Amino acid sequence: MNRPGRGTALLAALAAGSLALTACGGGGGESNPNELRLWHYESPDSAMGVAWNQAIKEFEATHPGVKVKFEEKGFEQIQKTAPMVLNSNDAPDILEYNKGNATAGLLSKQGLLDDMSAEVAKRGWDKMLSPNIAVTSKYDAKGVMGGDKWYGIPNYAEYTLIYYNKELFDKHGVKVPTTYDELIKAMDQFVAKGVTPFTNAGAEVMAQHFIYQLALDKADPNWVQAYQRYTGKANLTDQAWTAGATTFADWVKKGYIAKNSVSLKAEDAGVAFIQGKFPMMFSGTWWFGRVLKEAKFDWDTMLWPGGTMTAGSGGNLWVVPKGSKNKKLAYDFIDITMKKNIQNALGNAGGVPVAADPAAITEPKAKKLIENFDRLAKNNGLAYYPDWPVPGFYDKWVSAGQKLMNGSSPSSVLGDLQKDYDSGVPK
Amino acid sequence: MTTLTTRTAGAPAGERRRSARRTRRRRRRGPSAYAVLVGMTALAAIMLIPFVVVVFNALKSPAEYSANGPLAPPEGLYLQGVRDFWERVDFGRVLFNSALISGSVAVGAVLLSVLNAYALGIGRVKGRMWVLVVLLMANTLPQEALVYPLFYLSKQFGLYDTRLGVIIVFTVIQSAFGTYLLSSVLSTFPRPLLEAARIDGAGRWQILWRVVVPVVRPTLSVLLVFFFIWTWNEFLIPMVFLQSNDNQTVSVALGVLHGQRLMDATMSSAAALLGLIPTVVFFLIFQRTLSRGLTAGAIK
Repeated sequence: MNRPGRGTALLAALAAGSLALTACGGGGGESNPNELRLWHYESPDSAMGVAWNQAIKEFEATHPGVKVKFEEKGFEQIQKTAPMVLNSNDAPDILEYNKGNATAGLLSKQGLLDDMSAEVAKRGWDKMLSPNIAVTSKYDAKGVMGGDKWYGIPNYAEYTLIYYNKELFDKHGVKVPTTYDELIKAMDQFVAKGVTPFTNAGAEVMAQHFIYQLALDKADPNWVQAYQRYTGKANLTDQAWTAGATTFADWVKKGYIAKNSVSLKAEDAGVAFIQGKFPMMFSGTWWFGRVLKEAKFDWDTMLWPGGTMTAGSGGNLWVVPKGSKNKKLAYDFIDITMKKNIQNALGNAGGVPVAADPAAITEPKAKKLIENFDRLAKNNGLAYYPDWPVPGFYDKWVSAGQKLMNGSSPSSVLGDLQKDYDSGVPK
Repeated sequence: MTTLTTRTAGAPAGERRRSARRTRRRRRRGPSAYAVLVGMTALAAIMLIPFVVVVFNALKSPAEYSANGPLAPPEGLYLQGVRDFWERVDFGRVLFNSALISGSVAVGAVLLSVLNAYALGIGRVKGRMWVLVVLLMANTLPQEALVYPLFYLSKQFGLYDTRLGVIIVFTVIQSAFGTYLLSSVLSTFPRPLLEAARIDGAGRWQILWRVVVPVVRPTLSVLLVFFFIWTWNEFLIPMVFLQSNDNQTVSVALGVLHGQRLMDATMSSAAALLGLIPTVVFFLIFQRTLSRGLTAGAIK
């Protein structure tokens, strides 16, 4: 049955191998003044990946003898393990980390991040970032954004906008809208032709951006501050939120947004737009590079017609762990990423740089993307994201969007959100 | 199992006739048998669909994926996704780490399980019931609950971010199940065999290695295979414990492709295919062992 030799030999081989190799475990931990350990989670062909690769090369050129040891991580890995890694001897010298109260704010509150306020003032980064963007870089003692101390620097920004398929607009004889009323008219024309105007993903972030945008249309910056930074009492059943939820439900009923998109993922919705199945997609700038590369039709972007505010913020942050052994090198690296040439590279690769030279951006669509961003940032138009204020709010928002699409009454959905908000707000 | 295959020409006439009748009956397959066959074929096809989709997408370029959607067959052979992923995560090293960790855990956990089960199942130590209950409870504990305590422990011992740390953790976790299973197998171990060995003058150690282990070897090899595959597919603990990319395992390396907002579907498929192949190969090599069943063994 079982020839005795084989199994035993295999066991022995495995055991011997394991013994020999566990001996060479170790690694990490020891500091090396000539090595900058850097982690980020952007893919190499994304705008950030391209720009940061260039920054690494420039860093090594300007710091002879210093090597950058870059390790690409998964987003989830950094999200889940950062509090532990930064608390150990294996912390990197610099890493990319998600902005917001529940992420960078939490780490700063736990004392795991280096307070970089002095460096920021010395190197003049605060002058490069408009106040609207800097909010997510600064945290107070409670870890709430918009505080007094700097804990991170973003190289890029993001905001939501409409991507539209010019060919579909032409084919159905619809005029590209510039005001909210024209948008409604255009959508009516599409629906009359049997075309669903917007692609949507109910199971992920897209639906909540519609609701938030429709609420923002009736709100002002103080309303955003109250909701996001707890500067006042946020009432989720007020007139703006009610308008947002009701209008969204109404749009689904009228067929502006397909009812069967309730269980779709963002990936599906984006691919459907790139395939040319929908005239418009309302989502973030993170799609820009991909649409630029893969869409085979004539397209362009525009800000939400008639809106002065939209979801968006500074991008993810470069943070320096408290336990970083090469803080000076880390700050030198951030300084390089804020230089004009790196920022321009980021812009030309389809990202939204925070401190680029608009004249150096050659791609016309990217130029428009950046100009629109500058308009928003100057006018306090970045309203952050609806799921930010409370930990775990994202899933609540997804389910709220799905309930609205399935015909639940807006007042009860908003009432539920209010309860979750109230119980999660830091006291 | 072996008794079935011993019907040869030397068998008595009645026996032979009976077996002939059986073959005749087998030839007259009713329509129900064909219905079952068709049903099973359909089921097998359905089980293969996800695999086919992964293969399709692994061989597509991202532009093709965006243009034709995930279900369309690839237009040509696009191997750049596989190649890029291999270089991006240094897949050879990752593969080696996974094989090292899973292999060591499989061997270690089987050894530990045998020793434990010998004491519990054959030695019948006092309170073995409670030991088993505790082990079973440890088994049902979600890994999320274990992560923080294990993190602090491994930091104290200087085992954080080492492969050895992960090997120890999984050896213990897997052997909890192994002990539970093997104890119940060994508690039904034929006593006469043990007594005969004892009369022949064998000590406890000799009984274990000369009598018990050879008899339950099929069960042990099945456990070995399962431990290997389970450990290979572990995600959370390797992700938390193996910080530096030099120590990463296959399943953690796959996570690199899931961005914050976007995912790279074609490269993920390519990577999934790469990560899948080693377990499939391992399974095919040990297929015979597996098909013998988890509780095979006992007296011949």
